[in-house]
Amino acid sequence: MSKKQFMKNIVISIIDGDQDKIQESARDALKANIDPLEVVELGLSKGMAIVGESFEQGESFLPELLMAAATFNAAMEILMPEIEAQNKEIPKAGTVLIGTVKGDVHNLGKNIVSMVLETNGFSVVDIGVDVPSLNFIEEARKVKADVIALSSLMTTTMPSQKEIIEILEEKNLRNEYFVIVGGGPVSQQWADEIGADGFGKTAVDAVDLIKRLLSQRD
Amino acid sequence: MLNFLDVYERALKGPIMSEEEFDIKVFIPRLNEVVKRYGIHYNKENPVPSDDMAADNLFEAAVDFMSQVGVYCQDTYRIIQFSREEILEVLREAPGRCFAGEGKEACVFGMRRPDEKKRPWFHVGSGIVATSEEMATNLIEAYGSISEANSISISALESIRGIPAMAGSPAEFYAAIRGIKIGREALRRAGRPGLPIMNLISTAAAAITTIAASAPQFGLRTTDGWLCGALSEMKIDFGALNKVAYLHSWGANVGAETAPVLGGYCGGPAGTAVVSTAYILMGLLVQKGNYQLSFPVHFKNGCSINRDVLWVVSTSCQAASRNIPMPVIWLGYMASGPNTKTYFYEAAAHLLCAVTSGAPAVQTPHPFKAVKIDGITPMEAKFGVEMGKAACQLNREEANALVIKLLEKYESQIETAPDGNRYQECYDVVTGKPGESYVRLYHEIKEELAEMGIPFE
Repeated sequence: MSKKQFMKNIVISIIDGDQDKIQESARDALKANIDPLEVVELGLSKGMAIVGESFEQGESFLPELLMAAATFNAAMEILMPEIEAQNKEIPKAGTVLIGTVKGDVHNLGKNIVSMVLETNGFSVVDIGVDVPSLNFIEEARKVKADVIALSSLMTTTMPSQKEIIEILEEKNLRNEYFVIVGGGPVSQQWADEIGADGFGKTAVDAVDLIKRLLSQRD
Repeated sequence: MLNFLDVYERALKGPIMSEEEFDIKVFIPRLNEVVKRYGIHYNKENPVPSDDMAADNLFEAAVDFMSQVGVYCQDTYRIIQFSREEILEVLREAPGRCFAGEGKEACVFGMRRPDEKKRPWFHVGSGIVATSEEMATNLIEAYGSISEANSISISALESIRGIPAMAGSPAEFYAAIRGIKIGREALRRAGRPGLPIMNLISTAAAAITTIAASAPQFGLRTTDGWLCGALSEMKIDFGALNKVAYLHSWGANVGAETAPVLGGYCGGPAGTAVVSTAYILMGLLVQKGNYQLSFPVHFKNGCSINRDVLWVVSTSCQAASRNIPMPVIWLGYMASGPNTKTYFYEAAAHLLCAVTSGAPAVQTPHPFKAVKIDGITPMEAKFGVEMGKAACQLNREEANALVIKLLEKYESQIETAPDGNRYQECYDVVTGKPGESYVRLYHEIKEELAEMGIPFE
């Protein structure tokens, strides 16, 4: 089987959410001495990008995104040991720490953003819901985040987004991280008012924003 | 029949798994399987279908789904499960009505069926945040002054004495009490002090605040109504369960609040319709609600007026109104804001959908997804009632034709819909009267909609 055919099979398995098939293809690719990083880049990531685009166009939904991500992870179970054995690592576009602010337990939008970020090559650390403001900062420090993404789905929990930025400033840490905000009641006006680096209206907007911010830094 | 403590006990003893496992290994696959087995199919040409058999089939699918999936408790990591027999029992026992209001406003909030000419219950207003107490008072007085209003949804306050009412904070508690007092006083000014407030407590995000501010000395009555929300999807937490426990102990009206998200875990329209219907079963089984507030939305824009969401509203409303004895308020989130033409097109479409599909109640369609502070006026409340009265003169087939025409007017602009004006930009804050241009727009729109075939009185 040609390398091209291997990659095609991998892409199809991601789109179909077929975990058994992708693990079989991943093993076969390694047996055929194909570079596992190439499998990730030309197979897995390409498949995820197709699913992500389909999601953005409204042709598929979160379940398809979740199945694709689970299939991606199934393939990585086979490929990762070989990548590590070769002393290589998968390049990441950046590290994003994401969570829903204190007092708010909504997570759907946050989960969608996390998925879409992962399909775009970001390392995502999701610290959950109802997260105290200081915890965002502690965790961002621990994981060496590039971006702190704050989700709020209620007008009464939005003040926590402002509080986190204020705490970063008080601790002279504001310049260490980009801070973006999102969620139903959040707007660009609010983001400007509280000194956030940006506002993501949709998951794809959030990805584009983060890419833009990180490229400015680089 | 299971009482609430029995239900809570199941949250301690049900199958244990992580939330992610519940989503990926239980919820999604079971939903896909039920959609396939029952042949639930979205038809974009027919947002308001007239098909009683399909409605009953959707109900059966929802019962099957609920019996297989249950409800996930986030605090115990366990699934609260119900057998098919238990679900059918609760349907047999459910009264299908709710007693709300006091004195001359005391009323029974009951059921309707698709194509029924009986007026729906009008739940007037919105919990959209008001930045000043003056504005909130004017708004609620205006809601109460609408003679057809059966219940009121009061504004939320964003701060108290300039201090942000952050969720779970003392400021939120003080703001919640203040909001209740404003609501009661405003309804007194409207001459209708007995009208029930049924979106309690709009200012309070945290359960502890809701419970504390519900003490009777702060003005609330058991004949008002409290919203106890589920979480997406088919989940609940101790916050909601604590509210339910407190309110049932008091004998107060409990409103199960549910909002299935099309495009999220529910997937497409077919899955969302099943979940939307199953949520009403959850409202009876878990929250033990006397009534329910349901607002399906699209994940991408947070609106209820996308073609596919309208189909979800119509089909699940039909399934529920034909088979589930639970008075449900169907609420829509509009893309456009106040004082815009597209708001009225969108609101008309949603109300036509819900009312002809048998909605027991409808609420004032929320402008601009309810996210614009001060972004609601009494004009939208007035329109909601006038449109609701017109809609109940029509059947589903007539509504479908009108909804298709209305979609042509706004569908292509949903993503760029205008946010409209704030209250103080189109109303006099002191007198509470609308500005001339908004009155003019209102009359123009009604004329246009009447020419389209909407039978306003």
